[in-house]
Amino acid sequence: MTAAAPPAPLAFAPPPRKGFFAALAPGGAKALFALAVAGIAFLFAFPVLWLGLTSLRPASGVYFVHRGTEFTLRNYAEALAQPNMLEAFFNSFAISTLATVLSLGVTVTSGYMLSRFKGPIPGAWFSVIYVLRCVPYISWVLPLFFVTRQLGIFDTYWGLLLPHVAVHICFFSWIMKGFFDGIDPSMEYAALIDGCTRWGAFFRVALPSAIPGLTALAILCWLYTWNEFLFALLLTSHKTPILTVIMAQFVHELGMEWHLMSATAIMALVPALIVTAFGQKYVIRGLRI
Amino acid sequence: MAEVVLQNVGKSYGSVVAVRDFNLTIADQEFVVLVGPSGCGKSTTLRMVAGLEEITAGAIAIGGRVVNELPPKDRDIAMVFQNYALYQHMSVRDNLAFGLRNRRVPEAEIDAQIARAVRMLGIEPLLDRRPRQLSGGQQQRVALGRCLVRNPKVFLFDEPLSNLDAQLRSQMRLELKELRKRVPTTSIYVTHDQVEAMTLGDRIVVMKDGLVQQVGSPLDLYRRPANRFVAGFIGSPAMNFIDVRVAAQGDGVTVAAEGLSLGLGGRPAAVLRTHAGGTVTMGVRPQHLLLGAAGGGLVRFGATLSTSEQLGDQQLLDARLGGAYLRVAGIDAALKLAEGTALDLAVAPENLHFFDAASGAALG
Repeated sequence: MTAAAPPAPLAFAPPPRKGFFAALAPGGAKALFALAVAGIAFLFAFPVLWLGLTSLRPASGVYFVHRGTEFTLRNYAEALAQPNMLEAFFNSFAISTLATVLSLGVTVTSGYMLSRFKGPIPGAWFSVIYVLRCVPYISWVLPLFFVTRQLGIFDTYWGLLLPHVAVHICFFSWIMKGFFDGIDPSMEYAALIDGCTRWGAFFRVALPSAIPGLTALAILCWLYTWNEFLFALLLTSHKTPILTVIMAQFVHELGMEWHLMSATAIMALVPALIVTAFGQKYVIRGLRI
Repeated sequence: MAEVVLQNVGKSYGSVVAVRDFNLTIADQEFVVLVGPSGCGKSTTLRMVAGLEEITAGAIAIGGRVVNELPPKDRDIAMVFQNYALYQHMSVRDNLAFGLRNRRVPEAEIDAQIARAVRMLGIEPLLDRRPRQLSGGQQQRVALGRCLVRNPKVFLFDEPLSNLDAQLRSQMRLELKELRKRVPTTSIYVTHDQVEAMTLGDRIVVMKDGLVQQVGSPLDLYRRPANRFVAGFIGSPAMNFIDVRVAAQGDGVTVAAEGLSLGLGGRPAAVLRTHAGGTVTMGVRPQHLLLGAAGGGLVRFGATLSTSEQLGDQQLLDARLGGAYLRVAGIDAALKLAEGTALDLAVAPENLHFFDAASGAALG
């Protein structure tokens, strides 16, 4: 008896990899990738880093951020001591939170209607949203200015909240519709058979299933209002100071106080950073839609 | 315990008619299967019984009460959906309890009902899991459990097995049959799978284009299909059809097509005599075609083997007869047949079906 012959080599050996990446040392491709990612991350983070540096430099050093060695925290104290600054922080926070709550309250039902119901009313509502979305953002401002003055709510919470809510409803109803489209309606049918009314099926089955999407929208909505400048600038005045407007007021006839603006901007970043950090998972999901 | 009556039920979406003039009385504890191809209106009919679709014509009564205007929650029905429709944000236990809690059933009784259902379905270890942690088969059991705990008057099943793989499907089919014996309840079951229909139903309703084609027991439908559609839909592999010319010959008739000429007497002849000189569609099930069979009373013809499919326990043959192809089933798997072999086929005349060539209605 003879020993079995060793198996013949495969007739089709995989062809050797060619090209730039194959020529690198083992692990080289990975290192290159990491380097590229770090580079891109740096590119995006650079303005924020520069902002942070500027906020730590004295007024005389802001144009030479990369050179001087003098650093100070006085900018922060000075910025906070500005008239209306603390009130502006509070107002921005309150407006962002209220706008999020109010607009999501409407958006959820509006998105659900667009997703689940067919007929003239959802059709008309969809058209309204579509048309309003096509209008350039800035062209809203002047009519809103007159309307809020007419209604006597110019420079009040309501005067800023209502326009924000209106815009959010237009933008987010569509996104909310997408969330509900992704939820199997037969779950609601099962709830109807299990003893729920139509509203019961919505509140007890559809809504809990939409929580991840809702959270993503809430975060986006909050950040958007927190960062918003145009409405705040034109629909408020000294009675309702808003953070983004106060920040812009560091640019005035006598010059530009970059050090104070940077310090304020860094402080304004903190709440946004906290919101983003806690809801990162949802924000990423929200950005994908 | 309830009888379900559908009387002239119809559903249309604008000018599109989904279901037309549906009449059926389902006896208490009867298991009726609605079967048909996609878009035949079977699911719409079921959803009308459930109250998920409005009825545009006719009336539906459950347990003697017309339910046309009743919302689903007041119809005392339970439904199993194709994609299970379990509440994703609740545990299995809460899924099972949901319907009972909505009806303000005391918690102790809910627990007892859940215990009974999970024992029956063998899902005790899953009670604290979320639906997405379960396999398809487990999810479908939970969906069944959700119906069982409610003790409803009627069970509705909307293609409950079609999302499962073939092996699991046949296992669940058996379990459903077993469950039926233990919990006899009036049931309406929708499927597009004729095997499910044949194995589960006391009676089968075959639908096509929103119209009922035939209602009958599984064997009725198999042996005496009302038309060509039912004949082709029920039975696997599907029935062979050939258009044949009919000629009277003495007491009997001859049916002929390219490569085929059969002399028939008896009942087929009586049926076909009125069509002498015309064309009818002849149907024969693949299982009824015999290869090289001896014995009297059979009519014989020749065909040529085109291809054969080996199934392990048997072979399926594809035989060419003139311009037509015939499938032959139940051939010994060990039999070696080369392509082009001349086949000596035979069929008992009582196994031949004849249909009107134009309308497709069964003759005789």
